Amino acid sequence: MRKCSRREFLAAAGAFAGGLALSSLGIPLGAVQAFAQELSKADRIKAAKTTISTCYHCSVSCGLLCSTDTKTGKIINIEGDPEHPVNEGALCAKGAAMFQMSANNEHRLTKVLYRAPYATKWEEKTWDWAIERIARKIKTARDADFIFKNAKGQMVNRLETIGHMGSSKLDNEECWLITAMARALGLVHIDHQARV
Amino acid sequence: MTNHWIDIKNSDCVLIMGSNAAENHPISFKWVLRAKEKGAKVISVDPRFTRTSSRADYYAPLRSGTDIAFLGGMIHYILTQEKFFKDYVYNYTNAAYLVNERFGFEDGLFSGYNPETKKYDKAAWAFQKDAQGLVRKDPTFQDPRCVLQLLKKHYSRYTLEKVSSITGTPVEDLKAVYEMYAATGRPDKAGTIMYALGWTQHTVGVQNIRTMSMIQLLLGNIGIAGGGVNALRGEPNVQGSTDQAILYHILPGYLAAPRASAQGLKGYLEAITPKTKEPQSANWPQNLPKYVVSLLKCWFGENATAANDFGYNYLPKLDDGQSCSIMETFDAMYEGKLKGFLSVGQNPACSLPNAGKVRAALSKLDWLVHANIFDNETASFWHGPGVDPKKVKTEVFLLPAAASMEKAGSMTNSGRWVHWKYVASAPPGDAISAGDIFYRIMAKVKALYAKEGGNAAEPIKALKWDYADSKGAFDTLAVAKAMNGYFLEDVTIAGKAYKKGDNVPGFALLSDEGKTSSGNWLHCGMFTTDGKNLSARRGKSDPTGLGLYPEWAWCWPVNRRIIYNRASVDPAGQPYNPARPLLRWAGDKWVGDVPDGPWPPLADKDKGRLPFIMKPDGVSFLYGPGLNEGPFPEHYEPLESPLAKNPMSGQRINPAVKIFKGEVDKFASADAKFPLVCSTYTCTEHWCTGGSTRWMSWLNEAMPQVYVEMSQELAALKGIKNGDKVRVASVRGQLEAVAMVTHRLRPFKVQGQDVHQVGMTFNYGWRYPADCGDSANLLTPTVGDANTMTPEYKAFMVNVSKA
Amino acid sequence: MSNGKSMMVDTSRCTACRGCQVACKQWNGLPGTKTKQTGTYQNPPDFSHETWKLVRFAEGKAENGKPYWYFFSDMCRHCLQPSCMEAMKKNEIVQDTQTGAVIYTPQTKDLVFKDVVDGCPYNIPRQDPKSKAIKKCTLCLDRLKANMIPACALSCPTGSVQFGERDEILKVVEARVAELKKTYPKAKALNADQVRVIYIVTDDAEKYHKYAES
Repeated sequence: MRKCSRREFLAAAGAFAGGLALSSLGIPLGAVQAFAQELSKADRIKAAKTTISTCYHCSVSCGLLCSTDTKTGKIINIEGDPEHPVNEGALCAKGAAMFQMSANNEHRLTKVLYRAPYATKWEEKTWDWAIERIARKIKTARDADFIFKNAKGQMVNRLETIGHMGSSKLDNEECWLITAMARALGLVHIDHQARV
Repeated sequence: MTNHWIDIKNSDCVLIMGSNAAENHPISFKWVLRAKEKGAKVISVDPRFTRTSSRADYYAPLRSGTDIAFLGGMIHYILTQEKFFKDYVYNYTNAAYLVNERFGFEDGLFSGYNPETKKYDKAAWAFQKDAQGLVRKDPTFQDPRCVLQLLKKHYSRYTLEKVSSITGTPVEDLKAVYEMYAATGRPDKAGTIMYALGWTQHTVGVQNIRTMSMIQLLLGNIGIAGGGVNALRGEPNVQGSTDQAILYHILPGYLAAPRASAQGLKGYLEAITPKTKEPQSANWPQNLPKYVVSLLKCWFGENATAANDFGYNYLPKLDDGQSCSIMETFDAMYEGKLKGFLSVGQNPACSLPNAGKVRAALSKLDWLVHANIFDNETASFWHGPGVDPKKVKTEVFLLPAAASMEKAGSMTNSGRWVHWKYVASAPPGDAISAGDIFYRIMAKVKALYAKEGGNAAEPIKALKWDYADSKGAFDTLAVAKAMNGYFLEDVTIAGKAYKKGDNVPGFALLSDEGKTSSGNWLHCGMFTTDGKNLSARRGKSDPTGLGLYPEWAWCWPVNRRIIYNRASVDPAGQPYNPARPLLRWAGDKWVGDVPDGPWPPLADKDKGRLPFIMKPDGVSFLYGPGLNEGPFPEHYEPLESPLAKNPMSGQRINPAVKIFKGEVDKFASADAKFPLVCSTYTCTEHWCTGGSTRWMSWLNEAMPQVYVEMSQELAALKGIKNGDKVRVASVRGQLEAVAMVTHRLRPFKVQGQDVHQVGMTFNYGWRYPADCGDSANLLTPTVGDANTMTPEYKAFMVNVSKA
Repeated sequence: MSNGKSMMVDTSRCTACRGCQVACKQWNGLPGTKTKQTGTYQNPPDFSHETWKLVRFAEGKAENGKPYWYFFSDMCRHCLQPSCMEAMKKNEIVQDTQTGAVIYTPQTKDLVFKDVVDGCPYNIPRQDPKSKAIKKCTLCLDRLKANMIPACALSCPTGSVQFGERDEILKVVEARVAELKKTYPKAKALNADQVRVIYIVTDDAEKYHKYAES
């Protein structure tokens, strides 16, 4: 997160950029001039890469403009897309807070975490290790529990000991991929927020 | 939504009921208030006076769980006051259909009920048919067995006084709302309903919505600008995740999931494809076989051939009657019947009813995989309150996922608009997209089966899984194109030639012979033949002036912005409301929105088609013999209610509801220990369980801790002051909350008695922040709607006391 | 000669979605502060050096017996002749000549805070306990200079908060009040001839907030 202390100078810098305002009022220019040398946030946004995105909360799908600093690759601002015909730039409290959902939030998960049976702590793991182990667990359960026929002798080809849940927070393509995967595995315990 | 967000501005009367749109879909109010400023009436019906109510022209309170009574009274008013739109009702609904003599209704039960199985024999509700197999109709609408007469009879019991004594809504409020809304039953007026989980989350959820759909049909409000039946869906891509069918009971595009009794592809297609003899019915679902075969081709590629039923047998089949909804899954988990659970972007430890049971169920798993952008109470269940990690066997994998702005892909809003978005920044640390996570897991599973073989290896080997980009990562665009579909061979259709590999530009071109592949027929048309992604469009033209924006993004089906739009015109194809023409027949073609099919207007007895093209008979159902608890909605009390007896009949609760009987599934109705009605909901500042928003300081600052809203009257009775810490308890669990004593809740006068209602958000959980309080779902009952198994979060019984 | 900028805050259109409250924090890099639930939706409870835009909630029972719930998206009024400036020793508070935005510079640390806040009829200024500088809304002057409208105005879904040339906004306010008077006889604009941020209310101003009107 940016330090707020920096903010207190930006307003003054902005006023300075306004032209005669400060000097005509006799403001000591030296104090703010140093900060005026720096880019104000508005200027940094003009220099940033703008990416169209969609709000991640309710189902209105408000348009967002994400500004990404081209040097650091970090998002420096997210606000409503004025061109979007549904929200016309507007955002509610959650939408206006989307910046805190980005990588700027220190609470974001950044490592694969693993909790062993009966363990009291998470351990950090690699993707390769986790994917390998998860795939093995799926196969072991499936090999043991796959049901070919039901009590009536009808072909059912299903697996009831693994379930899948989620998510309405994923993109369409991710949802579709999960649907396809679940069916190929034979899962029937498949559900997500749409029902609840 | 049959309509879409912007279209709300076209309405003359906006009924917001079962929804708190200003708080939970705040941007919708841009359009609600634009309608209001043009003279529309805005009505808020809610147990609690909300931010929505504050901006409404009229507010009416009702006791939670009594919406059918409220709306049944409106049907009674519309019919007795002759407010209905006769042309529309006569032409476009089944009002004239004759129902067979077996149908009947007595003391809360329809005919055909089996109390042991708690199921109805729906054959008892069928229509009369003539020798040719056509439904018999009475064009005079006078036959006592015709739908209109049966409807009048059924709702004649819903008088103002009766309704008021059930809902607790004062009679004058009922009258005012009925009058305002019924005024839209004219050709030049449009009324819209904005509803959400306030209607779905009941044991009678589907019937709540059906009652309103019937009102919309009676008033001619479906298929028109400013009207429709508008479900304000909850999550950012819940429309899309439903369309893609992360659900046990459907496949992508709302194709029914295969059942064991339908053996082989032929049997399955016969079971799901509706038939009709109505000469003017389009019966669009007759095309389902094309969508099924194209889906199988997409999933199994060259391994899907006519000889192997296109891989139909690779799909899992549910037993007939088997239900695997999330409450049933967690019930099975609690019983120790599941070994593993894959989960992503959801927090059942706080979001599912009877959260104590859910949390205990997770500890019975051997392993749990959870992908998310933040930790939550589900991933961390093993160190939750009262849990000793040393006693929990479950292996847990917590996988870091990318947030929405860190991945490309499409999301579908509640109005069915599909928006494409782009990568704004890389995800932090080792995080990758959920698509990438599941792509990698399944690729590894496939590799294991390829190497080692295994049980039922065929479907896994046959699954087409080639969605990686040049760097080996999940390729979103490749999946989007597969969902749209492409031709598998060169074909010429209606004089136009398509090459193998071209995108299929619309689902009308899909094939049931294996000539096309399409992962979801509803998405067919999102790409043009030459590969242009229409969901990325940003055109702002608005030729109708109605805000359809046909060149902004793309919407299913086939960019039709308002579905059933052929119901907006008379049989000659001219708009019922010339001031807001959505569609018009120009002699040889339709002008306006993308029409619901190319056929000429209904008056053309040869080629013309009825407007409700997804209904087998082309008309919409005022009488609906398909749902589990009856063809007409009837008021039943919630499973837990303050009343020992249903004032409408001897049948207290929905007769078709499933009751869980496990040790932790306790219920307490009309019990002096739990005398208060409670609803759960969410607030503007948090999203669902707060799984993401509780990690965001600006939102926590605005809504920091769990609270319970209650009336001044109840607070006085309990000796509670605003801001006091209180204990809220149900028969299943309890939690502490801060009392919010407010004028915005009032006691209801029900059957002559004061009934108090309280409400809580379910936005909180123990994981973070430390002092925010726990989930309101520790209180809620495991019981669901009789058709959908959507939990009854909106009406259950609690008590409140000073902590 | 331009008369600078103005903002309308039409409470009759506000849904208290608090998009403005958060958008202000987002743009200005202000932190979410630690708060408690005390029995109200209003949080944080008041302005601070880290909260410059705050939606205030006020409820009660109307004459017809039904509840009312008023929302007041409070912020600095950017007075035409700011009385807070009377507390200046040198030029710690400045007024931008182009827009009329009233800006507290870091030098406000040298002022007597009580004099500044007592000089404000709307009870807006707050002091940073560490730096002693006095803080409040800047009208997003940095955005204005870059031809962007204030973050709160952009975020507002319903047109409750509208920003523009003062002359234009005054016309919009006048028309809106006239329209509202048909339904709400008490409708009025608050101190429109003294402030740049003009609130419209439909009931007695003090029912919204103690310092709504001067």
